[in-house]
Amino acid sequence: MSFFLQIAASGIATGAIYGLIAVGYSLTFTTTKVLNFALGMWVMLGGMITYSLVVQHHVPALIVLPLVMAALFLLGVVAERFTVLPFLRAGSDVWVMTTLGVGLLMIDFAEIIWGRSPTPVPSFLGNRPVVIGPLSLLPQQIFIIAVACVVFVALDYFYRRTLTGKAFRAVAHSGEVSSLMGINTRWVQRTSYAAAAALAGLAGFMVVPLTLAEPQLGTVLGLKAFAIAIIAGLGAPRGILICGLVYGALEALISGYLYTGVRDILGFSLMILALFLKPEGIFGKPIEERA
Amino acid sequence: MRRLGRGLPWLLLLLASLAPLLVEGTYFRYLGIIVFIYGIVAVGLNVLAGYAGQFSLGHAALMAMGAYSTAILSKALAPLPFFAATGLHIWLGIVLGTCVAAAFGALLAFPALRVRGPYLAMVTIAFGWVIFKILQEWVSVTGGDLGLASIPKAQIGPWELSTREYYYVVLAFFALSLVLQRRIVESPFGMRLRAMKHSEIGIASVGINVYRLKVTVFIVSAAFAGFGGALFAHQQNYVSPDNFQFFSSVFFLLAILFGGAGTLSGPVIGAAVLTLLPEFLHDFDKYRLIVYGSFILLTLYFLPNGVMGMFRRPQGRATPKIDAEPAQDASRDMAASRGASLELRAISRTFGGVAAVREASFKIEAGAVHALIGPNGAGKTTIINLITGFYRASSGEILLDGAPLNVSSMDGAARLGIARTFQTIKLFGEMTVLEHVLVGVSSSSRAGFWSALLSGGRGGPKQDGDIATARELIRCVGLGGYEEVPASTLAYGHRRLLEIARALAVKPRVLLLDEPAAGLVAEEIAALGAVIRRLKNTGMTIVLVEHHMDLVIKVSDRITVVDHGTVIAEGSPADVQRDARVVAAYLGPSHVAA
Repeated sequence: MSFFLQIAASGIATGAIYGLIAVGYSLTFTTTKVLNFALGMWVMLGGMITYSLVVQHHVPALIVLPLVMAALFLLGVVAERFTVLPFLRAGSDVWVMTTLGVGLLMIDFAEIIWGRSPTPVPSFLGNRPVVIGPLSLLPQQIFIIAVACVVFVALDYFYRRTLTGKAFRAVAHSGEVSSLMGINTRWVQRTSYAAAAALAGLAGFMVVPLTLAEPQLGTVLGLKAFAIAIIAGLGAPRGILICGLVYGALEALISGYLYTGVRDILGFSLMILALFLKPEGIFGKPIEERA
Repeated sequence: MRRLGRGLPWLLLLLASLAPLLVEGTYFRYLGIIVFIYGIVAVGLNVLAGYAGQFSLGHAALMAMGAYSTAILSKALAPLPFFAATGLHIWLGIVLGTCVAAAFGALLAFPALRVRGPYLAMVTIAFGWVIFKILQEWVSVTGGDLGLASIPKAQIGPWELSTREYYYVVLAFFALSLVLQRRIVESPFGMRLRAMKHSEIGIASVGINVYRLKVTVFIVSAAFAGFGGALFAHQQNYVSPDNFQFFSSVFFLLAILFGGAGTLSGPVIGAAVLTLLPEFLHDFDKYRLIVYGSFILLTLYFLPNGVMGMFRRPQGRATPKIDAEPAQDASRDMAASRGASLELRAISRTFGGVAAVREASFKIEAGAVHALIGPNGAGKTTIINLITGFYRASSGEILLDGAPLNVSSMDGAARLGIARTFQTIKLFGEMTVLEHVLVGVSSSSRAGFWSALLSGGRGGPKQDGDIATARELIRCVGLGGYEEVPASTLAYGHRRLLEIARALAVKPRVLLLDEPAAGLVAEEIAALGAVIRRLKNTGMTIVLVEHHMDLVIKVSDRITVVDHGTVIAEGSPADVQRDARVVAAYLGPSHVAA
């Protein structure tokens, strides 16, 4: 039993990371119906910058965190302007390819700058496990779960209680009407894209001490997060957190009890199945089409 | 220019077939084979993404299905003397590979195509990843990371093919797949694909099951990928998961975007350039992703329609020859039979907690023009959506000619003879006026994918008949002379008329017009009135939702007035005009006394 709990708990920490990335998809999708197909690569970039600053330049982690998030936010603003906006305006879907193109560039640049070999990054919280009852968790894992919860509560508050958050939801509903109501639609679109990038940076910052820093780090993370966003429903941030945690726990249990090799096969097959049964996601509202 | 665009692929193929005679070296032939194989996969993806508008980023995995299937089968059969003598194991393997890929395509298509656009792209990525992982992990069958080696070389009879001979075989298959592509695209099936890309709702309104169409085209596309993969396995004699990474899927999509998605020769150009480019950039191997990443961005930025897109006909406004008078007899054999009656019995529909339609009951006589009026937001369009199966009623029932109407989709309703137009126009982009109507006319003929292959695109007596019918319908709404004009260049009023012509193509017994006069100028409204009267003379039942009261009064036999989702008045045009509740609903209660 304690083996079970132990595995599930560390899986939940990984799941919190998935949830954070997944909510990034939700942010842009709800406002503009755009998805950053390379969000995983942005996570990688966040992780690599963290590695570079913490390991190579010995910058304190608590300074690195805002730096990483700010850098990715700005990069997000630029990327949105040049790889999403032109196609969004033309009403075409090819931003699927351009966002992906940006991701490919990131991988290669990361390999050129930092090399291909995976490198460990120490956690700023140290490596002494914290024992809580039958569980023993790394401080980094507890940190991740706590941060994810804070982010989701803040997001919930933002969407439901603040005027800007309501503006975001209005744009999600109808960009045209929102702009007639005086909402700066462009600002909302740009900000949501950049915010998703910043969240990816946060995820990258938190994940590298658990995994290793390497340019291939983000690809699978991004995919899994997308699977979670779909299973939960892209428009349901709370559901995304829940699904992320459950997915992380299940995945860890599969690895623990079965075999790591089948982990992703089961996970992605589950997503395809979930889509078949409930295209709008477990927590999503059915999509009403209009004629 | 357009000529050039059409002839170019054949010129290239001719060059390719002569090339081995002019240039020596196995490596060169090997490259050629790879170009052709990638070309075959790209052709399949072009039909799917370029013409039907469904992005897939999982085609490398489908290609892997083909490659591994033939590898496993042909390796197993090769030791048997019969197969060694006949070479059948290779061809059986290739057929199996194609079928397995198609089957997996179906397996993926059923869930994935319930969603669209970017969702679909992401799901296909996940599918590709699952297949990739299975290839890595299922070591006993796939050989894991090491892959499968010593796959038999292609042979015809007992003779093993040399690289040069295989070059010609694959080239022939590539040419064949280009012919198939053309047949598919120019057939009614292909026309539906192109129409679906522009408006799924529009194509459903003429009785076509969009989901089934999508699944079919996905399977076709998967078969191309599997076929290419199988040919690949017998070229390499060795397959491993690395051949079919996610990156290869991106490559295929990039190939058609660069070449020109939705053009016949785009895949040829794309596959050739993108395969050969890295060969000239040998020293840049380290920067491969940068090269491809920049390629994606530059292509989409500066060549949004791809290389072949530049050869497309210019999108100027054509100046058609107009028939002065619409043919009066054009509408004669239009209605399939007499119009049908409709009856709504206590029909309700709620959205969330809001009742858009509440217990609405009224009867529409067969062969009548029945107007449905009411203020904005009264529930008129919702009623149309309920009758045409776009929405399901929360309660109540609808009777068609006295029998319960049980449809859950717009295409189902259209097949029962209930056709409609839309308040916001749903046309098929730059497809021509004739094609718009033809899509509807041929929808009843169930001309699917197989007949597209067999009948060979355009022509055939059946299609000639369809074209004649379509031309007649176009004349009937007064668009005669505009047949070859792209709909996207039509004036607004003409687009409304085109929607009517398209709806007529399904031989409706009931035609529902949702604000057909919205945005029209006076003369256009008059012409529309004439069209409605002409249609009424054929015996068709017409339901008209409209705000232009002069038009409504002129053409309607009966009028039902709805407000806040309920029927507030009903009667002849004269009755309704006098009704106090109607005046109140439109002008406010203070006007009633006056």
